[in-house]
Amino acid sequence: MTLITTILDGQESEASSLSRSNPAIKIPAVLLALAASASWLATAAVTYYMPDVIDFGRVPEFAALSILIAAALIAGVIAGIRQPALGAKVRRLLPWSLALGIFTLIWQLLAGKLGVLPQPFFPPPHGLLEVFTDDYPKLIEGVLASLRLEFLGFAFGAIIGFWVGVALGWSRTFGYWVHPIMRFIGPVPSIAWLPIAFFAFPSSFSASIFLIALTTGFPVAVLTWSGVASVNPAYYDVARTLGANERFLIFKVAIPAALPHVFVGLFMGLGASFAVLVTAEMMGVKAGLGFYLQWAQGWAAYANMYAALIVMAVMCTGLVSLLFKIRDRVLSYQKGDVKW
Amino acid sequence: MVGATAYAHEPVAAATRALDVHSVSHAYTLEGNPLPVLDNVGFRVEPGGFVALLGPSGCGKSTLLRLVAGLEQPVRGEIRVDDKAIAGPDPSRVVVFQDPTLYPWRSVYDNVALGLEAQGLLKTRRHRVDEALALVGLTPFKKAYPHQLSGGMAQRVALARALVNDPEFLILDEPLGKLDSLTRISMQGEIVRLWQQKGFTALLVTHDVEEALVMATRIIVFSDRPATIKADIPVDRDYPRHRDDPGLVELRRKILGLLGLEATW
Repeated sequence: MTLITTILDGQESEASSLSRSNPAIKIPAVLLALAASASWLATAAVTYYMPDVIDFGRVPEFAALSILIAAALIAGVIAGIRQPALGAKVRRLLPWSLALGIFTLIWQLLAGKLGVLPQPFFPPPHGLLEVFTDDYPKLIEGVLASLRLEFLGFAFGAIIGFWVGVALGWSRTFGYWVHPIMRFIGPVPSIAWLPIAFFAFPSSFSASIFLIALTTGFPVAVLTWSGVASVNPAYYDVARTLGANERFLIFKVAIPAALPHVFVGLFMGLGASFAVLVTAEMMGVKAGLGFYLQWAQGWAAYANMYAALIVMAVMCTGLVSLLFKIRDRVLSYQKGDVKW
Repeated sequence: MVGATAYAHEPVAAATRALDVHSVSHAYTLEGNPLPVLDNVGFRVEPGGFVALLGPSGCGKSTLLRLVAGLEQPVRGEIRVDDKAIAGPDPSRVVVFQDPTLYPWRSVYDNVALGLEAQGLLKTRRHRVDEALALVGLTPFKKAYPHQLSGGMAQRVALARALVNDPEFLILDEPLGKLDSLTRISMQGEIVRLWQQKGFTALLVTHDVEEALVMATRIIVFSDRPATIKADIPVDRDYPRHRDDPGLVELRRKILGLLGLEATW
């Protein structure tokens, strides 16, 4: 539910975060920048000078990366004095930079240098870095495969769900036949279809597309339906007195009026589809990040698993942000609170 | 009727057909019980007239307008335009509702263009959109979105959206009911000016006696629900009218009496 409220309140929260003066910056920015920078320098020093409990590789590279972050923070603050826009951005990042620096330092000590965390299950940061520097072709390949599957499934599901929703909202006959089916099948988690899908479809790839489409399509259909059903009836009266036919009422009144709801459905569908994507990749599809995770576990390559998780997080967040961007463009008429 | 086409600046599709409300009764169903709203209402409006339908709120005036617009069919009786019964909505009879009901996803310009677009006339008559916007004085705001407009401006856009179709009948369902009193007074004058300029037949539902007196050539007073006609009063004064015109003040006293409110006046 939090996702929905975030989506619905999207504009307000954006607006309020802009108008609110930054509360995290109470300590002068310079002190904070020095502290953040120091935490990364400490990480670099610990990484480089303390011996590893077992050999993890990429020690100097990670130390260098930490120094680079420390230097970038200082440089950013200095450059920010001249350019206020950049300065504000850097100052906003400072508290998080400090927190991450401290986290990385502790992580490095516990995992890499003191061996408090059991190895090899919790690799240190430079262990992860090694995955990114050495195994990136496979990771990229995995991301592309996952994106392809996700895109196909999501697109099919969104398009079919959208039209089913419109038809449910518009036609009583369609509703009579389809509504009970949706009520019966809808609550079943899509994953439950997985065993059937894998033998009913010619390939595990097409089966996965079906499962992702099912997961996406359901919330999209329900939300589109509720959007069409809740259109202000006066909108139809206006159009009808102006000479609109039914086609016009559907395409130029009902659908545009329902779009804000449709986007809520798309967000819910997208979130749910990630779970099915990864499961499908783990269970049958021999490609993608889910498969990579499974494969890494099989080889006890724990650092690779963490690396894949990070990549997956970036990918999923990226897709959600992309959908936000699209929504803001399509629903741009809601933006701007200039009153004349 | 009062100089309907005398002020015309441009070619005007003045109303030529009469509207005949012929012994109309209507009822809604409320929790299984019939709720009568109109009881044997009949009157005739000559082309170019400005008729105000006045009555207590909830008496069924707005229902009558929905019937005239063709959005609903009366239970008994019929409404005719030149002896042809109204069977459904038609762009020659356009409604301006109490709420502007602009589409929030369309700019002011696109909202005004709605009727032409729905009738497939946008390509050939696009210039009419600009004319209608100019008519209500909103040309500078054509790219704005409805949420950026004040109540009065939004209602003017709704007016332009109706006028762009050059309707023969303009049906006004308390269009000024939710506006502040200053905006209301200026828009009363504006609607009268548009009516004189365009020559359409106007039907105005209102519960504001003064508004009816300032705007209409004829006032039909309705009773409480189910509405019947209590009085049919011609208002034979020149425009622009003044609220303190003794003739109007006298009429106002008479109408308030009909509505059972003489004591408060």
